[in-house]
Formats: sequence, C-alpha cells, structure tokens
Amino acid sequence: MAISILVVDDSPMARKMLIKALPAHWNVKITQAGNGKEAIAEFRAGKVDLMFLDLTMPEMDGYQTLEAMRNEGLKCVVIVVSADIQPIAQERVLKAGAAAFIKKPVDIQKLEPILRQFGLLE
Amino acid sequence: MLTKDQRDALQEIANIGMGQAGEVIARVLNEFVTLSIPRVLILKPNLIAPALQRIVNSEAVSAVRQAFHGNLRGEALVLFGAQRCNDLAGLMGYEEKIDHATEMEILLDISNILVGACLGGIAKQVNADIGFSAPSLMADHVPVNEILKISDVSWECALLLEVNFKLEKLSFACHLIILMPENELKTFAGKIDRFMEAF
Repeated sequence: MAISILVVDDSPMARKMLIKALPAHWNVKITQAGNGKEAIAEFRAGKVDLMFLDLTMPEMDGYQTLEAMRNEGLKCVVIVVSADIQPIAQERVLKAGAAAFIKKPVDIQKLEPILRQFGLLE
Repeated sequence: MLTKDQRDALQEIANIGMGQAGEVIARVLNEFVTLSIPRVLILKPNLIAPALQRIVNSEAVSAVRQAFHGNLRGEALVLFGAQRCNDLAGLMGYEEKIDHATEMEILLDISNILVGACLGGIAKQVNADIGFSAPSLMADHVPVNEILKISDVSWECALLLEVNFKLEKLSFACHLIILMPENELKTFAGKIDRFMEAF
C-alpha cells in the first residue's frame, strides 16, 4: 500500500528538491502544500502517513503547524526539513512533536537512514 | 530579467545561505535568531531607495558595505536601524557602555560574519567561487534615501536580495541586501539555471 506523503514548503523549488531526493521506486502518494494552513487542510481532507515540514513559511510557519497538529490531534511522522540550522530550532521542533530534523539542502543520504529508522523504508 | 522559476530557485538558495548565516550569528551571540523569508526583487535604481525604506522601517540607518568578486560580482550592504548594536555589546563580551568607535567595530564584525556566511552559502550552491573585500562603514546614521547616493549605484537595474535577522530576545535586527548589476545578474541567472537542472 502506498505511503501518503505531504510535502509542506512555501518554495515550489524546495518541494521539487525534496521530492527528487526521495528513494527511487518507493511506493508513495505525494501531496504538496505551500504553508501550514494548507497542510492542516490537506491533513483534514485525507490520510497522511509522513509529513516533510519547512519552518520558515508565510501564513502559518512550521512551529505553528506542529502546535496546530498537536491541538487537533493530527498524528503522522513529521520530518522537519529546514535551512534554519540553529541547534535551538532543532530542539524546539523535536519537543513540539517532530520525529526528526534534516538540514537543507536535503539529499537521499540524509533522508534514507531516517526513513528506515521510522520503518517507512525497507 | 529572472523568470519566475529562477526567482523561486534563488529564494530557496538564499534561504539556505541565510540559514547558515543565522546559525553562525546565533553561535557568536549565543542567542536564537529569527529568520525571515528571503525576498527577491529586480529593481531600477530609482526604486531601490523606497524599497530599502520599506525594509528597514527606520528613518536613519547605519550601513556597512562589502564587495564580492570572482565568478559573481556585486555589493552586499548590511543595514542597521536606529537601535543599532548597543544591546549586542553585552552579548559580545563588552561589560561597560561602549563608545562610538567600538560600536562601529561591532557593526563591521557582524556584517562580515553575515555576508561571508550568507553569500558563501549562496555561492557554494551555484558552484561559484567568490572572494570578499574588507567590510567598510558606508554610512553612520543617515537617511535611507542617502545610502544609494553613497554607494554610487550606476547600473540599469539591480537584484535586491533581502534577508532579515532578528534576535528573539533583544530589540536588534539587521538587513542584508545584495546588489548585483545587470550583466552580473545574467551570469547569476545562468548559474541558477544549472542549479535547477539538477532537479
């Protein structure tokens, strides 16, 4: 069964870079959102197994998105993918419910071990 | 001058460069840095001053300039609003109230770190080798619209790439502006295209 992935980033280029970095031949269904508000709406509309979440976004940023998900009880594996590489940013998102943090630019070498860690990739 | 895709790619490239610069500043000051979404504008010279006014939101600014050269050429400006860096002095280890010369020294240090990390990050992603001149104080508490007269901008249009850094706990913010003349912008656009081809 395909894994439902939601890629959340205000930059279409960043979303493209992330999707390109996903493992080849991985059985996934990909949906995209441009900010946290759109992500929450996508989440409410359907199933999400894995979310790739940027932090710096208009309308609703990554931190606010994690908070909204917690308040609404929306659960999935959240991997934050951000250019904000301050250790405090990483601590905050992990505390807010993210499963992992990946520094931009993302590539398969950074991604694969984390996907395996959460049983999303054999 | 830049297509929508090129602008989007540049915004993401700048975002990564800005993140690297933010991390260095956070480490130096031991404070969390709030980052903005980078903005990419192509402007005629007469529109740059109003754009800077909007960005800085302060009547008077201090500015540090630092030229970069190599595969890409242009000028980086770091603008500081009226608050400038009195609050930073303590974070940087100064125990007493600082004098004007020391304050200017801090502005130069902060600018040098920001420009090196941010532009270095951008250049690395587009596979460009660049070097930097020493930073110099360009303006000390002057009206924003005076800045470009001092910088002698003589090109037809320029890339204005704006990133903002704000300390979470202190009332300090600065703005990094990257200005590139039209011919350099064409070179940069070619490098952005090659960056995009990988995706």
